[in-house]
Amino acid sequence: MMRRALIVVLLIAVAAPLMLAMSQLPPHGSPETPPYTHVSPYYLEHGAEEGGAENIVTSVILNYRGFDTQHEVTVIFTAMAAVLAVLLLAGSEPTDAEDAPGESPVPVSVVVRFIVRVLAPFIALFSAYVVLNGHITPGGGFQGGTIAGALVIALSLVMSREEADALLPRKPEHLLQAAAPIAFFLTGVAGLALFGDYLFFPRDEAFRWAAVLMLTVIEVGIGVGGASVLVRIFRAMRAD
Amino acid sequence: MLQDLWHNLDYAASVVLFCIGLYTVITKSNLIKKFMGLNIMETSVFAFIVALGVVDGGDAPIMGAGAEAPFINPLPQALILTGIVVAVSTTALALSLIIRIWKQTGTIEADELRGME
Repeated sequence: MMRRALIVVLLIAVAAPLMLAMSQLPPHGSPETPPYTHVSPYYLEHGAEEGGAENIVTSVILNYRGFDTQHEVTVIFTAMAAVLAVLLLAGSEPTDAEDAPGESPVPVSVVVRFIVRVLAPFIALFSAYVVLNGHITPGGGFQGGTIAGALVIALSLVMSREEADALLPRKPEHLLQAAAPIAFFLTGVAGLALFGDYLFFPRDEAFRWAAVLMLTVIEVGIGVGGASVLVRIFRAMRAD
Repeated sequence: MLQDLWHNLDYAASVVLFCIGLYTVITKSNLIKKFMGLNIMETSVFAFIVALGVVDGGDAPIMGAGAEAPFINPLPQALILTGIVVAVSTTALALSLIIRIWKQTGTIEADELRGME
């Protein structure tokens, strides 16, 4: 009882100053808020021409803040390495003795299995669309990669382990997982060689195709890399 | 003050969400539930920052044919995309640590773990 009273007091002590601060912010939805009045108008006005992407969010992520995003994809890659180190390296051997071979690890009904298999090609098509159209419609590498990763995870839930493992090729697995940092590095070096600056996107109208090509390479890299990292984390977690 | 808070209901909602997450982190003993609470707190911050970018009557910040001002602020959305990716990474790492703790000790209740050492 005492403990519960203490928790309520603590929550009120946290919420009250926050609520006070929220009430003194500029009204929600007004165009005079500080985040809307400094750098954003510039992005909105020039982002489409300079960034090479009609979707300004993509422009900001990949062009104006390209370095940030490059290191962010390294964060996912590092997280995967850490997960593998925690789960697989630290002295535990994966035991999959309980699974009967040829059966899916989780009992699923026939309906679920059938529906997932029927929908799989359409989900794959959708994820490819989201990745490739990230610069002109909502979407992009992270979103499409997540869809593709979720598709592979859903499939490995309804398939037997051997079938699921055959979904992603084993050999280039490490390359696929590192696809996002590699794509960033290649584009950055291409910018360095062609235009004289690392991760430089050409702004001239004449070189617009080059900017779009670089954006697409990065988006595909992020998509492939994100999907394979998610799948690898999932496999490491179910390995026991 | 309440009048102002009513205008900023979206922001107030994120504070409520934050407190729900904090409550979960403090009171639950199960490590997975604790981490769910942490995820709720993260989500509340994301919701708050995305709400900061909303403009009344604004359109998605996608140029091209038929695009009309005002546009929603693209900057918070880009920042939160980064934040979500980091949140996914920390979640994966935390869950794998929890799996490891369970393998090692056979329990993921914080109370029991405290009694073990």
